[in-house]
Amino acid sequence: MHIPDGLLSPGIWVGTWAASAAAVGLAARRAQRELDESRVPLLGVMGAFVFAAQMVNFPLGFGSSGHLVGSVLLAVTLGPAPAIVVMTAILLVQALVFQDGGVLALGANVFNMAVAGLLAGYLPWALAGGARLRSIALVVGGFVSVMVSGGLAVAELALSGVAIPPLLAWSAAGLFALNGLLEGLLTLAVVRALAVVQPGAVRTAATAGRTMVALGGAALVLATGLVAIASEAPDVFDSLAERTGIADRARALILTPLAEYRLAWAPDSWWGQAAAGLSGLIVMYAVGVALARIFAKRRSA
Amino acid sequence: MHHLVVDEWSRRPGWLQQRDPRAKLVVLLTYLVCVSTMRELTPPALVALTVPLAAGLVLGKLPVSGVAARAMLVLPFAGPVALAAWLGGRPAQGLSLLVRAFLSAAAVLVVAGATPMPLLLRGLEGLGAPSFLVLVVQFLHRYLFVLSEQAQHMRLAALSRGAGHGRARRRRALWRAAGGALAVLFARSHARAAAIHRAMLARGYRSAIPSLAHMKMGVPDWWLAAAGVILIAGLRTVLALGS
Repeated sequence: MHIPDGLLSPGIWVGTWAASAAAVGLAARRAQRELDESRVPLLGVMGAFVFAAQMVNFPLGFGSSGHLVGSVLLAVTLGPAPAIVVMTAILLVQALVFQDGGVLALGANVFNMAVAGLLAGYLPWALAGGARLRSIALVVGGFVSVMVSGGLAVAELALSGVAIPPLLAWSAAGLFALNGLLEGLLTLAVVRALAVVQPGAVRTAATAGRTMVALGGAALVLATGLVAIASEAPDVFDSLAERTGIADRARALILTPLAEYRLAWAPDSWWGQAAAGLSGLIVMYAVGVALARIFAKRRSA
Repeated sequence: MHHLVVDEWSRRPGWLQQRDPRAKLVVLLTYLVCVSTMRELTPPALVALTVPLAAGLVLGKLPVSGVAARAMLVLPFAGPVALAAWLGGRPAQGLSLLVRAFLSAAAVLVVAGATPMPLLLRGLEGLGAPSFLVLVVQFLHRYLFVLSEQAQHMRLAALSRGAGHGRARRRRALWRAAGGALAVLFARSHARAAAIHRAMLARGYRSAIPSLAHMKMGVPDWWLAAAGVILIAGLRTVLALGS
């Protein structure tokens, strides 16, 4: 879902721009390392292919048809980092040339579709082992990519203060689910045809990377999904502080927007907790990578 | 087609077309931020926000009806969000969202209509966009219409052979055919990319696409950037103080 300008609050588009800029910057550096110079035109042409592919309609019956979105297809053919760069390029052209999606909202659109949706859709493929599992992974990946992108878009609009009635939210979820299923099936159809037309076009994820991907995926599910069923009861220390009467003396020395693992402006909502959990994961990942690089440099020196 | 019309506008002999793309992008971003941060869109605010747009249309010799019609393309996407706000008991918010989306789309069209895409990309690179990303976008934009035309031809060829008509038991065959068409398009795109790189190497390509246009901010460009930012920021401040 391409969000136009004028719908998101400043806090949301600034935040998503920052997240997207960091993610796309990292992906671009990685893509430049992974690909040699001869492959740069390939990325642009693949982006043009996705545009053109959206013109090929697949019949759905009842006089309707659908088309491929392509983020998972790009990820399994080019790799996730180059695919992020290509999807970002597509969204940029869509915003500037076709006014499909805003310019200020580009950060949110890139985050939803080119980063989070793409990586979530690639995750099943990265974890799948045998050929049969890979077919299922493609369908699940396509479904997940659309659900994540759509869900994030709705959450960003809600956090921007747009009143969304529950019935409309569930209707949107239903539409996303239908589109997600279509995307999964289309991606499977194209990859199967590619296996005949151009064997070797589709990459397989390295075994060593699967463990990291599995751990990362589990952390993501725990931090954003399982918080919905987490206990609200205080932990041992908080409980002890309440019983001994010293809880009232506690003072926060610094105020942050993620206090108590919730978003300050949406403390009682699931997405407030999920957003806080996701932010914490990203910060810890960034700190871990930075520390690993520092230690690696010291060791090599 | 939309992109051809906007491309034609960018080649008109307007004052705005002669300006540095970086100056135009800075003014555009200032305007978008101004519209985005408006809490209420009162009639005076609406009139005030159309002044920079009108100035852009005049300075770029852009057609008012053409820009307005193309800016309305954003309404089907903003419409459901506005409907959600209306059903949520906030009709004023819904209307405000629609107007903001329209004004923002019109502003982007004014800049896109006054700047050829290759220059716009160079402007983005000059403002800090990663060079690698800009390079990919340049290739994408260059071959977008070539591959889209190829996909159109494949679609017409399939339709002329009776594709798209069939009962449920043939739908599987139609899916396989559409999947096969995309796979062939993918393979052709892949092969074309390799040929493109070889051709560019033969013409002296060295990791960047050279341009004849030399970007340098002259006095009129600095005037545009400064006046645009100051006037729009001033407008925003006055509207904020008045509300």
